[in-house]
Amino acid sequence: MSELLAVENLEKYFPVTRGLIFQKEIAQVKAVDGVNFTLNAGETLGVVGESGCGKSTMARCIARLLEPTGGKIIFNGQDITHLGRKEMRPIRRDMMMVFQDPYASLNARKRVGAIIAEPLEVHQIGSDADRKRRVQELLEIVGLSPEHYNRFPHEFSGGQRQRIGIARALSINPKLIICDEPVSALDVSVQAQILNLLKDLQRDFDLTYIFIAHDLNVVRHVSDRVMVMYLGKPVETGSRTELYAAPKHPYSGALLSAVPIADPKLGRARKQIVLVGDVPSPINPPAACRFHPRCPRFVDGVCNVDEPVLTPVPGSTDHEFACHFPLERWPMGDDELRHEGAFSREAAPAAAVD
Amino acid sequence: MTQFLIRRTFWAAFLFVAASIITYVLFFVIPSCPACLAAGKAATPEIVARINHSLHLDLPIYQQYWLFVWNLIRHGSFGYSYVTGTPVRTLLSTEIPVTASVVFGGVILYLAIAIPTGVISALRPRSIMDRLGMVFVLFGISAPSVWVGLMLLYLVGFRLGWTPINDYCSPIPTHQLGNCGGLWPWASHLILPWITLAVGSAALYTRLIRANVMETMSEDYVRTARAKGASPTRVLIQHVLRNSMLQVVTILGMDLGLLLGGVLFIEIVFGLPGLGAEILQANGRFDLPVIVGITMFLCLSVIVFNFLVDILYAWLDPRIRLT
Amino acid sequence: MALLEVQDLHTRFRTDDGIVQAVSGVSFELDRGQTLGVVGESGSGKSVTFLSVMGLHDKRQAEMTGSVRFDNQEILGLSTNQLRHIRGKRIGMIFQDPMTSLNPVKKIGWQLEEAVLIHNDVPRSEARRRAIEVLEEVEIPKAETRVDDYAHQFSGGMRQRVMIAMALINQPEILIADEPTTALDVTTQAQILRLMEKLQEDHGMAIVMITHDLGVVAELADDVVVMYGGRIVESSKVDDLFVKPEMPYTWGLLGSLPRVDVDVERLEQIPGQPPSLLRPPRGCAFNPRCAYTFDRCREELPELRPAEGKNDHYFRCHLDEGDRARIWAEKQAAMAPAGAESAA
Repeated sequence: MSELLAVENLEKYFPVTRGLIFQKEIAQVKAVDGVNFTLNAGETLGVVGESGCGKSTMARCIARLLEPTGGKIIFNGQDITHLGRKEMRPIRRDMMMVFQDPYASLNARKRVGAIIAEPLEVHQIGSDADRKRRVQELLEIVGLSPEHYNRFPHEFSGGQRQRIGIARALSINPKLIICDEPVSALDVSVQAQILNLLKDLQRDFDLTYIFIAHDLNVVRHVSDRVMVMYLGKPVETGSRTELYAAPKHPYSGALLSAVPIADPKLGRARKQIVLVGDVPSPINPPAACRFHPRCPRFVDGVCNVDEPVLTPVPGSTDHEFACHFPLERWPMGDDELRHEGAFSREAAPAAAVD
Repeated sequence: MTQFLIRRTFWAAFLFVAASIITYVLFFVIPSCPACLAAGKAATPEIVARINHSLHLDLPIYQQYWLFVWNLIRHGSFGYSYVTGTPVRTLLSTEIPVTASVVFGGVILYLAIAIPTGVISALRPRSIMDRLGMVFVLFGISAPSVWVGLMLLYLVGFRLGWTPINDYCSPIPTHQLGNCGGLWPWASHLILPWITLAVGSAALYTRLIRANVMETMSEDYVRTARAKGASPTRVLIQHVLRNSMLQVVTILGMDLGLLLGGVLFIEIVFGLPGLGAEILQANGRFDLPVIVGITMFLCLSVIVFNFLVDILYAWLDPRIRLT
Repeated sequence: MALLEVQDLHTRFRTDDGIVQAVSGVSFELDRGQTLGVVGESGSGKSVTFLSVMGLHDKRQAEMTGSVRFDNQEILGLSTNQLRHIRGKRIGMIFQDPMTSLNPVKKIGWQLEEAVLIHNDVPRSEARRRAIEVLEEVEIPKAETRVDDYAHQFSGGMRQRVMIAMALINQPEILIADEPTTALDVTTQAQILRLMEKLQEDHGMAIVMITHDLGVVAELADDVVVMYGGRIVESSKVDDLFVKPEMPYTWGLLGSLPRVDVDVERLEQIPGQPPSLLRPPRGCAFNPRCAYTFDRCREELPELRPAEGKNDHYFRCHLDEGDRARIWAEKQAAMAPAGAESAA
């Protein structure tokens, strides 16, 4: 398996300015602050986190829709971090993006055929007739009918529009597709269709995915490896089986235990880590460990003084976490809890079921 | 807030200077001979040359400009009319009240028409009231204000004789012979101009208010208010109107600034001695000091009203932070 | 006698494209202190049903028939003036997006006080005191100062707490929550759901939890109602719905959920999309998407009937008990292969 993408210490800071006549930078929004990972061809990396964690900004940096303020992005062996528009152009043939909002990401004034053919046009691939054939082929691949070629986006449902977006991303046979919350805006029954489609396409066309979502269920289903982000930094990464079976970072634990389970008995019996307070602003992240103000395992003098670095879990090849006092077992024991922030529900008496 | 004020004052000063320079430059680009016009028909070349000199028109532009600025800073004076010799300041002080009366009276009238009409139309879309309102709007936007003014003047002023057809009266009673004064004479001279102004603008504002109110009514927080058990009146007044007026306020502010210089058609039709009439005359006579004076006053009014609108907007909408 | 009894509710909207049959014959009961989960996707009619109960539709466009009895009083068809004594006082409602559901130009405190003053003849100072008290109850820190803040100064989770506070300030008997956590992050969702549980314990009100998330329903509800195409297609006690769901749509819903505790190679997918309510399909609304459909499904709308041997589990399907039991057993086997891990 060859390495397709390597991200080293990626940083994206946005300036906050203030000034009378001339704007002066007084602070920075550290949207992405030190992300490291590698991605092999054919793999799917799931990126999970909540508002303000920087996952979308990171995606846009990798796709070079934004220019990073620090760090390196090496795609297919080439350093693309600071390439200009012209130099990026051939590289963009190998990297496409699928977006969250199926209503906003398609140009309402263009017909579906034109939307899907646009990447082919931009990269000047094929003649008009070739492109038309390719678009019809793509429409079938994503489960739409070739006669939809001449319709407009508003004539389709959300799920269908997302398929159009995927067809567009596939049109030039990219190597990497970055999916930014592709199913969040869809109904549950339609989500499954799109997730299955994405998996099928990966197998058929040898695609590599970066899959960004806030829904842990969804991420687990599609990913080989998962990265959990908090306030611009990854706090834990690992294979999906390891990370979900035994999360080490208290934030991963909180995320995992917060997901409602579609099983009343399991749901009632389990222990939940309920965090206190809100995600702080990325303009003024907390000192040292960014999670320390909300952490149920916080230790004064350590967590607010020394920033933890990603360290591997003993005995594991790719499970890493950044925490001074990782969870010892999963589900979290009551003795591990030091502060308010864990919630244990009384297991309800098992209801009689026939 | 202080930062905002400082920055705004700085820009205002800058704009003033720019406006005056541009006016000067434009003036001198146009071939003209103000001295000839000032001197009159029977002037000889020597008289014209003498007037040229006394008006400093033989100096280079930048020197004339400098004199102007110096005069302004030192004496607070805009200079003297080339033609009549009256201080521009005096002209301004008599004409501004006239234009202001027309504008403010007209604005109050058209808001008084537009707000109720707009709100009712929004509350009862597609009803008879709404459709009548839209017809009125169509008329108001299409009919040129000059035509409306002349029609009113002829029908109401002349045929029916209900209002005077010319001139302006100060609202303050005066006992000078030849000048009229008093609140009633003032209003009766302005009724028709006010109606003329209102017809055009009320239409626009009715449409605007109708659209804004309809949009606000479908907002989620209005639904929340209803879900709380608020009566329809309370929902309308406390939640809908306040929020839908925000946009109206912005546009009104800009309008006021511009209207002060834009009612010249009305002033001419009704024979009102306001800024519009004056600047038209001054342009024809190449009367630079008057032109510059009025231009700068208009510039000032646009700046001031925009400033007031920004403040008002920030006061009304707590999400806005003035920087 | 139930606190809220809805019988054969129909809600139709007159639109430019025709008549939209949003709710077609919904009936259910809500008892004091009960938590009812209402599950459905877009176009299921779940939100419209409860907006109809509250009378919040535009009367010019919406036509409602049937019966809605609250505390033994018929409230469907009452005028706004009569309904508003119930809204916000005996039945409270919260909505999905707390940012747009709060008035952006009025202080939070003012909006909370308004909720009190509309229904109680008390001085403003008393209303303010109650506002602060209820903000503390929903765990907003520094309530005495935050009461003078505006909506945009709160985070998403905090805003939803404010909404809950506003709905509960008059101690209603029912709280209707329309997708209250859909727009929130998952950890914030957990906070809000725990808060709602606690408030229900303290106040004893009934909760209607409208959501598309079966997980939320599993955690919170006592009884569940599944809606599709404007009708109830299944209703039961919550445990029962997940153990033995009785009709294909519910099977499909459960099967299409990715789970953190269960490993599947391929999710069960329901083909197609939710039906158009302008031109609803004949017969069973789900039949165009159903893998088990047969002729009768296309012709005849199935009635809600009780499941074999259970008196509180109803469903709407033409398939007989034998077929349904067999299909469900097959699906269950497919859904829990090796690698199933418990996250409990």
